[in-house]
Amino acid sequence: MSDTLRQEPTIVTKSLAWAVICYLVLPITVVVSVSLTDRPYLSLPSEGVSLQYYEKLFTSSEWLSSIWQSFVIATVSTAICGVLGTLAAIGCWRIGSGLANVVRMAMLIPLMLPSMIYALGAYQVWAGFGWVNTYTGIIIAHAMTGMPYVVITVSTSLAGLDPKLEQAARNLGATMGQSLRHVIIPNIRPGVISGLVFAFIHSWDELVIALFIAGRNVFTLPRRMWDGINEHLDPTMAAVATVLIFLTVILLAAEFFLRGKKR
Amino acid sequence: MHANPNDQTLSVQGINKRYGTFQALNDVGIDVKRGEFLTLLGPSGSGKTTLLMSVAGFIQPDSGRIMLGAQDITFAAPEKRNFGMVFQGYALFPHLKVRENVAFPLKMRGIRGAAATKSVAEALELVGLADKGERYPRELSGGQQQRVALARAIVFQPHLLLLDEPLSALDTQLRGQLQTELKRLHRAVGLTFIYVTHDQGEALSMSDRIAVMKDGRIVQLGAPSALYNRPANRFVAEFLGVENFLPERLTGRQGLLAVRASALSLAGKAGRISARVSDLDYHGAEIRYTAQTECGLSLRFNLSLRDAAHVPQENENVTLDWQEKDALPFPAA
Repeated sequence: MSDTLRQEPTIVTKSLAWAVICYLVLPITVVVSVSLTDRPYLSLPSEGVSLQYYEKLFTSSEWLSSIWQSFVIATVSTAICGVLGTLAAIGCWRIGSGLANVVRMAMLIPLMLPSMIYALGAYQVWAGFGWVNTYTGIIIAHAMTGMPYVVITVSTSLAGLDPKLEQAARNLGATMGQSLRHVIIPNIRPGVISGLVFAFIHSWDELVIALFIAGRNVFTLPRRMWDGINEHLDPTMAAVATVLIFLTVILLAAEFFLRGKKR
Repeated sequence: MHANPNDQTLSVQGINKRYGTFQALNDVGIDVKRGEFLTLLGPSGSGKTTLLMSVAGFIQPDSGRIMLGAQDITFAAPEKRNFGMVFQGYALFPHLKVRENVAFPLKMRGIRGAAATKSVAEALELVGLADKGERYPRELSGGQQQRVALARAIVFQPHLLLLDEPLSALDTQLRGQLQTELKRLHRAVGLTFIYVTHDQGEALSMSDRIAVMKDGRIVQLGAPSALYNRPANRFVAEFLGVENFLPERLTGRQGLLAVRASALSLAGKAGRISARVSDLDYHGAEIRYTAQTECGLSLRFNLSLRDAAHVPQENENVTLDWQEKDALPFPAA
């Protein structure tokens, strides 16, 4: 019915829409092209395309080690902020009053502060704990800064959930844990999954905190890319970027698919 | 002898609950009789839902006790009380099928397999939804959802059933039908029902006893007929639909006289009150009038068209009278 009512967009609307899409996508295509260059420095391919930098990427122990480290850090920090963020959002939902809004706002601070300031603060505190240049340090920092994504997506899911459902579960004999497991979580699963995906992506390409806290022992992928650009304009960088883009697209597609399936 | 826990009676003893400066419950005490249909009736903010939630275990009173038989359950966790509850808006689990919703309390009690399947089928049979087990709650009508909530609340044989305005979301016709069904169910399962409503008609037609609440107190407790015929004060009388309160100067006696619109009738010349018709509503078999006395008092009276010799119109002067047996005296409040 809505299809018959929908107006055919004008040429202006269409052009504008395409312009925005190009604006968003073109830089990505440049990166993909550069990753296929046959020349020894960051440039577009001249004679023909070459996969040499992909080969280099997947045979270099440095790059592979950074990919692995980033993966471990993203996974563990996502698990931490997934659990804490989900529980915090549920807690705020249960309180439901003004205090809950204050807590929810506090949870969003990592998003509002410039990450440089957050990184500086984390560095100072972590130095005291001896966490600089350790997995622990960067995992905890990423878990903190990834928290807002989980809190936002889970809170959004909870907004549509009747608070009486928990009371009903308790009344029917479920303990607090059982009502969480059997009633609340199944109803907010799409929000939790979205939050986990965003938190993972956040940790996966986070640079500023990694610059402060990572070091010789912990060398995340964005950190290695940063060094790659600064020190020598190595096209392997572009190959890494291309791989990252594909990974992100796959994660987002998975999130989209899982969310669509549930609703 | 091993006592059946279902035989224990609920006793609420002097409970108080305060939210800041708001006294939600003020020294409320009530003994619920075994198997009775008890209604908590009152306007919003009267404390009826707070009382129900205290019994359910979702609100902890500041003082006083709630006893189930010899057991103090004032601070027992909701899931330990074994009370069924039908929530306002039903609170069915949207991710579970009707069958799974009804099986939920059994699952939480570790009852699975054939025994659970049988109980669920019986409960759904009892509420007339035997064929809807595989549906999701959102695929059912409001009335059907209400019945699922009922089945879910009685399937585990609770000590008693708490109902929080279970019919308020339904249209008038369906509400009447479900009132009848609830009464039938109450007789069939023999459970104690505690029913919260702000609808006096619902309370009068369904209850064995009604507790009328105001400002966190129970102001009158009794059978529907007792409340209807002998309201303890003006609030109860008004809440149960008494329209007219005649002051001393009109009646010549001390205090207020409560007279229902149906008991105030047109009188020839001999009527004790004269008034002018200000409004009339046609209701088929009768006309409902509003009339103003000279001193500005607004009165309501009904005229049955079956035995009316004359039908007064707007701005017409009328005289009204009542019979002493239909009037209730109150001390002036």
